[in-house]
Amino acid sequence: MFKVGILGAGSMGMTHATGWAQTPAHFVGVHALDAERAAAMVAQHGGHTYDSLDALLADVDLIDICTPTHLHHEMVLQAAAAGKHIICEKPLALNAAQGAEMIDACRRAGITLLVAHVVRFFPEYAGAQAIVSRGDIGDVAVIRLTRCSYQPRLAADNWFLDPAKSGGMMLDLMIHDFDYARWIAGEVESVYARSVRGRQPNAPEDYGIAILRHTSGAISNVEGGWAYPPPMFRTALEIAGSAGLIEHPAGSSMPLSLHLKATAGGDVDAVGIPGSPLDESPYTTEIKHFYEVIAHGVTPRVSAEDGLAALRIALAARQSAQTGRAVRIEEV
Amino acid sequence: MRIGILSFAHLHAEAYLGALQTMSDVEVIGLADENVERGRHFAGQFGVRQFADYNALLSERPDAVIITSENARHLPLVRMAADAGAAILCEKPLATTLDDARAIVEVCHAAGVSLMTAFPMRFSTPAVEIKKLIDGGGLGHIYGCNATNQGSLPEFHQSEHLPFLKRDWFTDPLLAGGGAVADHVVHLADLLRWYLASEISEVYAVTNQILHKGKVQVETGGLIMLSFANGTFASIDCSWSKPAYYPTWGGLALELVAEKGLATMDAYRQVMTVYSDRVGRPQYAYWGSDANAGMLRDFIAAVNDKRAPAVSGEDGLRAVEVVLAAYESARTGQPVSLG
Repeated sequence: MFKVGILGAGSMGMTHATGWAQTPAHFVGVHALDAERAAAMVAQHGGHTYDSLDALLADVDLIDICTPTHLHHEMVLQAAAAGKHIICEKPLALNAAQGAEMIDACRRAGITLLVAHVVRFFPEYAGAQAIVSRGDIGDVAVIRLTRCSYQPRLAADNWFLDPAKSGGMMLDLMIHDFDYARWIAGEVESVYARSVRGRQPNAPEDYGIAILRHTSGAISNVEGGWAYPPPMFRTALEIAGSAGLIEHPAGSSMPLSLHLKATAGGDVDAVGIPGSPLDESPYTTEIKHFYEVIAHGVTPRVSAEDGLAALRIALAARQSAQTGRAVRIEEV
Repeated sequence: MRIGILSFAHLHAEAYLGALQTMSDVEVIGLADENVERGRHFAGQFGVRQFADYNALLSERPDAVIITSENARHLPLVRMAADAGAAILCEKPLATTLDDARAIVEVCHAAGVSLMTAFPMRFSTPAVEIKKLIDGGGLGHIYGCNATNQGSLPEFHQSEHLPFLKRDWFTDPLLAGGGAVADHVVHLADLLRWYLASEISEVYAVTNQILHKGKVQVETGGLIMLSFANGTFASIDCSWSKPAYYPTWGGLALELVAEKGLATMDAYRQVMTVYSDRVGRPQYAYWGSDANAGMLRDFIAAVNDKRAPAVSGEDGLRAVEVVLAAYESARTGQPVSLG
């Protein structure tokens, strides 16, 4: 029996618990600061709540770390020391040195570390990657990616808004598309970015655009923001190649449009998560794949090294937005 | 109002002439084109007089001329027209070098003739709605803009495949001043200067030649980031990334993310999709208002009323500065300051 525990009971912890329920793994329980949410998770998915990470680690083969970013480094090292496989939410860490140290510790401990870059499991993003890798649009020339939502609104400890805890919008949100751009067009050489908070750290909300130069010659325009009016969340993707073009504008494939009077001005989720009606949530697809990787040695769609590479692009973008200079990846 | 057209090198000449012919207060005296065969073709198509050369047309003392020669060949025609005392509507980009762009502005100023740069987007009805929204304070401070002015390779534009209609100068680095950047950055650079009432302080650009590789000698992909003095930043995708079989030539669209929310504008969204066996692929049929006609009406009204046109030669010069800074940035890998 393959035993799994979750660390953290925020929106990602809850979402992953739903995913684990769809795998053969046995969910043993959760350790989280918020006892009420932890209790809600085990009420829905079984297992029990644990008082400490050590206690949870003692009971599992794999730990799924869904805590705020600033905790990833210490928790991964602790889990690696305990010899447990690890799934870590993105971003892997707050800086490249920590990320490299985490990867190194897991390698030395002989355990697998995976980073939850879930965008690679969204069917439209995975589908576009498959089209590109089949050669249907030729060599990739220009990529355009958009991911904009409203500012996360957690009732207590809104760590997303604290750059010391989340790394800021570029590390938390835009990193999805930095990873995706790299998946499509390969390594990134340099980044130039502008953002609201880059020059005004105390601005009330953040929005940014980064331009990436890939080693292949491809160029990417990545837009991200926490500045839309809630509950708006838009993603868009476009890939132009030497032999074709993939277009997927924001909102273009929404199968439903509901304008219900009762919901006007209704509840807004604490953190915006994109979604389209599907047989299986992309988060569940991701967890099922990660289970196959760790339990049966399947090659991961996204590796810990990919997670570190995406982090470095995000760090370069943030540095560029702060300094006004284009930043080469090796500088971060 | 008597108007002549100087050169049909730029395909916009056809759109301008077509729009002028719908205006009752305009008399098109004719056209002149250094490519005599091309001039004859369009004179016949539009039913207007073809002059033997530019001097012959200008000796008829037109009130105004439209200059639609290759980007690098605007200045000599501007000099001739200014000497003849004609008001000038000059195709964008105004020039391919700063010296030429400055000379164009100075020559017209010295001759006391009106000069308008052809930026029709300022007269696009969807684009004007956004201007009204901004000026009315509806967006508050604009954080940033994500904009596209993509197109197909210019050689795909011609509808008829007569050899003399091949506008291959669009991909000639000397005559066009470059590729996708020279072709497509200026519209949005100008529109955003107008929207924000702020000057561009810095330009960053990356370009590549992956699209249409081997077919042309200029950049076909480009991403540009403009920084404005008021703090707003704007990215522009000017790539020739629309395939030959795309339902239309390209488009111009932008998103503005602002203090008060999000506004999006797609200047060419007023289309229906047509599936015709005669074409064999979906095509967009545009039914929105004609921005070129709006621009021409302002040009004509400005000449009649002896006022400055809504878009000046200086506006054209500013856009040329942006294009040249973009090329410099693409070379150096770092942003380039303006002014």
